[in-house]
Amino acid sequence: MSKMKHGISELEWNDYLDGRGTVELRDRIEAHMIGCLECWQLYERLSDATRELVEASEEARSGLPLEDRRMHAMLRGIFSRIRSGPTKSHIEGRLNLLEGVLTPFCGSQAALSALHAAAQKSPARSLDRVTPDNWAPFLENLSAIATAMCGATFAGLIRESGQL
Amino acid sequence: MEEKQVIESFLNDRTDEAFCALFEAFCVRLRRYFLLRGLDVATAEDLTQDVFVKVHQKAGELREPDRFRGWLFAIARNEMVSYWRREQPRVESRHLEDPVAEPDMASALRLTDMLRTLEPAERDLVVLRFVDGLSYEELAEALKLPMGTIKWRIFNVRKKLARSLEVSPARRARQTIN
Repeated sequence: MSKMKHGISELEWNDYLDGRGTVELRDRIEAHMIGCLECWQLYERLSDATRELVEASEEARSGLPLEDRRMHAMLRGIFSRIRSGPTKSHIEGRLNLLEGVLTPFCGSQAALSALHAAAQKSPARSLDRVTPDNWAPFLENLSAIATAMCGATFAGLIRESGQL
Repeated sequence: MEEKQVIESFLNDRTDEAFCALFEAFCVRLRRYFLLRGLDVATAEDLTQDVFVKVHQKAGELREPDRFRGWLFAIARNEMVSYWRREQPRVESRHLEDPVAEPDMASALRLTDMLRTLEPAERDLVVLRFVDGLSYEELAEALKLPMGTIKWRIFNVRKKLARSLEVSPARRARQTIN
């Protein structure tokens, strides 16, 4: 996986650029670069790119702030979910189960489309935002879609499988 | 309190107070990770909350504080992959993992330009290594990859960025000014 050129492997270059190499490795690479323009230019290009990346990362790190108010709202949301009944993982599990029930009848693409359509028409508005609070209207929509696709018996199965 | 103490306190005590301290220490970083990986603010904040709920539920599985950051970002990455899997059929107009232009992303424009030249898996590496400062050991834990693969990929990222910087008009302009 790691190619060797002029006796220096890519992993050794990587360690050297990170300043992680052993003293022996540093001496070997530096001694080689004195007499090898190609490797010197490679080092220059890679260290320039690394410097740019480090600077750009520092800029990104210093930005993207989060207001205290928003942070506290997120924390309240987390505690509310931890202490409430069914959690997001229950919802995910139930969505996976519903997808598994739908797929043999209508195919995986149509199954996913049905889940998305049911969510879009519900207060959740997207599958990602379906929660225990808005689960009932989502399941009702999905049952209606299942009725149209495969009849009332199948819709009953969906309704049954979707109980939290 | 230092980050290490915050982590140890949470893993040892598991009190609400320790969890709050942990949230304060890591929520900005997790939100930033999701933003830099192409998610909008609302989704980034939703997923940040999802991660902390999972951390609360699964904390008993983790004993070694030194593994915490890698473990945390492994959960974050799994949440993001699940999100993309759910949302992929709905989004056709752009690649889901391309960095997006959010109003408060101005400080990250230079980095998001660089990320666009990389594969999604390489973007993970860059954000976790260079923005969040994860060690190679932590990256191996977060991405479930051997250390040699991590180093090799980082080297490839450097090479790709070096090539793209050579042809970048913005960089050529900066060099001319300097």
